[in-house]
Amino acid sequence: MGLLSLLRKLRSNPQDELRILLLGLDNAGKTTLLKVLASEDISHITPTQGFNIKSVASNGFKLNVWDIGGQRRIRPFWRNYFENTDVLIYVIDSADRKRFEETSLELSELLEEEKLVNVPLLVFANKQDLLNAATSSEITDGLALHTIRDRSWQIQGCSAYTKEGVTDGLEWVSKTVKSTKK
Amino acid sequence: MNLRDADSGKVLWQSSDDLSAPDTEHEARVPKRILKCRAVSREINFSSQEEMKQFRLEQKVYFRGQIIEEWSFEFGFVIPGSTNTWQSLIEAAPESQMIPANLLNGNVVIETKFFDGELEVSTSRVRLLYV
Repeated sequence: MGLLSLLRKLRSNPQDELRILLLGLDNAGKTTLLKVLASEDISHITPTQGFNIKSVASNGFKLNVWDIGGQRRIRPFWRNYFENTDVLIYVIDSADRKRFEETSLELSELLEEEKLVNVPLLVFANKQDLLNAATSSEITDGLALHTIRDRSWQIQGCSAYTKEGVTDGLEWVSKTVKSTKK
Repeated sequence: MNLRDADSGKVLWQSSDDLSAPDTEHEARVPKRILKCRAVSREINFSSQEEMKQFRLEQKVYFRGQIIEEWSFEFGFVIPGSTNTWQSLIEAAPESQMIPANLLNGNVVIETKFFDGELEVSTSRVRLLYV
């Protein structure tokens, strides 16, 4: 599923603009995922030193996907982008086990943010194509996702590289947005 | 700035020139086949040394001086020392409403104005030539 088809699915939404925010540690694959959504080449991606936005408009309905850099230097600026977020997508490098604690900490801080209260959360357990990748259920336990009570959430194993699982994640996003916005 | 076929994601035109240089109109030689695309995406890339709080953009596409398409986008905060991209995807008009390539050639200008709040930061004008 690309951005245009996601937009078409969401079009019946009463809002005329939707904002999806992609966050996660550096090297989790946020920009790669964003580019996959637009069918773009993913062979020359460099660390994001700011934001990448993709906007799609059709019949007066707009979808904006924001990918903000995940480097330590940039993370303190994340909070400037929370406002009006409809869905938070949190991306994890499932093979980078050494940084699970760090990513878990960042996520739990996000979930405490006032401006993100009740915002549905999709966790993309990315890089499932790598041999040493942790499974979605391992990550669910590691990040204690089951303790999340204040919002709808979903974890989806995926590989931006092989594109596996990406569409399933977006299906969840479109379903969730439709049911929470009525 | 670049232009892509939004279906295939393939770049049809790309320039790394500083399009914000004032008082110059830039020229983009875009392959004609872009007019056959069902959807096209336009991406602009910009860097800022300074932090900005109310950054926004107004992009207008002119055909012979008349606005045929308009986007405004509110970025809000810009991280100091950052490089950022914004891409907008536009679906093609139905074939019956398409302006023929020979009429478009040299008559389409993309104007992009950047603002921080009400302060105009830069303007760029790119004239499209379909080759």
